[in-house]
Amino acid sequence: MSSSHAAITKLFAWPSWVNRRSFWVVMVWVAISTSLYTASATGTALINWNGLGQFGEFWLASLNPDLSPEFLAIIGRATLVTFAYAVCGTTLSVGLGFIGGVLAAETWWRTVFPPSAKGSWLGPLMWRWVRVLLAFPRAIHELIWGLFFLSILGLDPVVAVVAIAIPFSAIVAKVFSEILDETPQEPLNALLNSGAAPATAWLYGLLPQALPNLLSYASYRFECSLRSAAVLGVIGAGGLGYEILLSLQSLRYSQLWTGFYALILLNGTVDLWSAWMRRRLGFTSRLDLHTPAEVRKKSNALNPALHRSQDWLLRLSWGLIALVTPLCYWRLNIGWERLWSPRTHRLLADILTASRPVWPTLEGFQALLHLSGLTLAMSILAMALAGLGGILLSFPAAQTFLLPAGCLSIGGTKGAVRARSLFWGSRWILLVSRAIPAPIWALVFLFVLFPGVWPGALALAIHNLGILGRLMAEVNENLDERPVRSLQALGASPGQIILYSVLPQNLGRFLTYIFYRWEVCIRETVMVGLVGAAGLGRLLTEQLSSFDYSGLAITLGCFILLTLCVDWVSQQIRKTQAEF
Amino acid sequence: MKLFIQRATVLGSLVLSLTACAGQQTTPESGGELNNAEAPSLAVGAIPDQDPEKIQRLSDKLTAYLESELEVSVEYRPVTDYAAAVTAFKVGDLDLVWFGGLTGVQARLQVEGAEAIAQRDIDEQFTSVFIANVNSGLQPFTDISGLKALKNKTLTFGSESSTSGRLMPQYFMQKTGLTLDDVKGKVGFSGNHDATIKLVEAGTFEVGALNSQVWDSRLEEGAVDQSKVSVVWRTSPYYDYHWVVSPAVEERYGAGFTQKLQTALTGLDASVPAEKELLELFGAAKFIPTENQNYAQIEEIGRQIGKIK
Repeated sequence: MSSSHAAITKLFAWPSWVNRRSFWVVMVWVAISTSLYTASATGTALINWNGLGQFGEFWLASLNPDLSPEFLAIIGRATLVTFAYAVCGTTLSVGLGFIGGVLAAETWWRTVFPPSAKGSWLGPLMWRWVRVLLAFPRAIHELIWGLFFLSILGLDPVVAVVAIAIPFSAIVAKVFSEILDETPQEPLNALLNSGAAPATAWLYGLLPQALPNLLSYASYRFECSLRSAAVLGVIGAGGLGYEILLSLQSLRYSQLWTGFYALILLNGTVDLWSAWMRRRLGFTSRLDLHTPAEVRKKSNALNPALHRSQDWLLRLSWGLIALVTPLCYWRLNIGWERLWSPRTHRLLADILTASRPVWPTLEGFQALLHLSGLTLAMSILAMALAGLGGILLSFPAAQTFLLPAGCLSIGGTKGAVRARSLFWGSRWILLVSRAIPAPIWALVFLFVLFPGVWPGALALAIHNLGILGRLMAEVNENLDERPVRSLQALGASPGQIILYSVLPQNLGRFLTYIFYRWEVCIRETVMVGLVGAAGLGRLLTEQLSSFDYSGLAITLGCFILLTLCVDWVSQQIRKTQAEF
Repeated sequence: MKLFIQRATVLGSLVLSLTACAGQQTTPESGGELNNAEAPSLAVGAIPDQDPEKIQRLSDKLTAYLESELEVSVEYRPVTDYAAAVTAFKVGDLDLVWFGGLTGVQARLQVEGAEAIAQRDIDEQFTSVFIANVNSGLQPFTDISGLKALKNKTLTFGSESSTSGRLMPQYFMQKTGLTLDDVKGKVGFSGNHDATIKLVEAGTFEVGALNSQVWDSRLEEGAVDQSKVSVVWRTSPYYDYHWVVSPAVEERYGAGFTQKLQTALTGLDASVPAEKELLELFGAAKFIPTENQNYAQIEEIGRQIGKIK
């Protein structure tokens, strides 16, 4: 008895319940309950039953999209435009993000300023500085970047491309730097110790190993760019976002749905194609954050046999990418010369002078604090719901679980049919939730909810649920199956298998994704704050439409501070997880 | 293999259609310092405030009409965001824009020498309506003082830059001593006039304020459930939508071009079938001349409310 008790204690190795982990668990619960309290503090009813008719009207239209040839032609052209913007935005942000990623990697600065050499204190300093610098572009939503560039570059496709590229390169840089830092360092160190120059050592010792993860992430970025390109349509970029906004202005639901189906088709195709590419290349995870070493080895080792036999298929795909990318740049006819034209200089100087912040009074400061609190509450509720829903849907949506030959497959033909419908059903829900832009979700929820934090929180929750669920399904697919198989062989029920072999392996990565997405969610509150009449987003839109640049500077400052906080918290929590 | 063929077909057709589109595309030209081309196009834009799915048709017709009247090349450039349209006008990438009352003033204040040249017949006497859900218990009233009943009701405007869906309704409320803090909760911004109708119909907000032209046409179409929502008050008239032209056109196309533009716009004739269609797309019987002075009241209210800094 006493020996088994000792073994259990050893297994868990918890010296005390008071540790960093339990501290953060308590903090998360406190944050969620405070947000719940804030959201419900208005004292009014939450659900507006009288709006069910309007709610139903929106959904009924999904069965009856506008398929007239003229409208389909408009939507078809718009789809291509959105696609072209996404291609340009992705290629630029991956290129710039790669450079930024190297500069933001702790490993890089350790390579350049080795700990033993003189001036080694400079390395960590530079690293921290670059990390903080990267938070600025990330904190501001693409749409705000778009309006900023519009006011210095004018009406041109270059505005939307740069508006996607700037925040996205910062995100890519952040994730790339983490991938680089988490890549095994032994080969790099071996090369460095044998006297290779830093650049050469990186080229041969680190980058080849990190490359699969970098490429996977780039393909995920492409899906994100598609969604952003759709949003930027409203400021003159054209494309699906523009057409959807036009239909939204007069609430032509059947036209709206045609646009949504185009977005769903575009997102779905890119999703399938990039998954196929990754499978062919032998790595399957699109966003590889915080992966246990064994799983990574399994999922990302290039399988030489598979690699060779599929080589020509892949080459063709690469060829098509090489062909389509320049075509997209050419199609958009991007006015790069605007970036350095004298007019841009003049307009930039104008806007910088106009946006000199006027410090708020105490009262104004309190109002900002209150609005920041609402924005934070909205994002926390959204992420809690999206995370929970994403985890639940990620099981039926994973190919390796319920489907025949999966680890939780239901026996018999009937079971297979059920599993298949569950699989496609959940995938479809995830696809629709992420393809429909968050402001549309907000309006739809506003029909059945009274205004406040909730409509915005739910809109962001649904949109992010689609993204998180898809990422989490992939985590499930890349699961190390050995614990699952052994529990199954021992006769464990599906519930027990999930609780004792799947979640212990995956929960950490699920949480990492949720915290990663939380930061994006803070930015996205800009898009829904207006309809829900809550948070900093509403203030920002009001300032934008009043051309109140000095007020705008302060509000954007709040967003940057919030992003830095969120970044810090997620870093702390990830560190805590890594310890266990 | 089958999978691959499918994928390849999808990609192949994508490449083809991209090429096709690129072939059709016209090169965007822009005015001002950026372009050294001989005669850059006249860049025309419009804030689509209602029925914007007709915008494609409207832009084709408008471009054709202006090109034939003015003998310069005209290009329609789509923008749907109010702030974006004002900004594009400010930097000189839009020469002639169909603005709302407030956005027109905002745009003119940022471009010295810009002029309001034409408006629709109805814009001279434009009105807003306050609508209310039946459950709000509000009764129709005829005097502006009736607005006091909005105290402690929930209220939504349309877009935050809208003249008829925000600025003027807020102004009339202020005239009766009602501020935005007096309504219940925070004032909503539904984004557009149609959403305002739907949200008040749903009961999410008890009261809404919108463009009376949109309200009337939705009533006519039968798109409003009148057992749930009705008008409680129609405002007194004010000046709204108008065409604003940038002084850059005089430099580019010669002195007197602004005058020529005004003549072309006001010359749209409802007895000519093609021109009648264009007028119908704008919801106008004809365009009439206007001048900056007509919007002095809007500017004053804009400053009062804080939409003009």
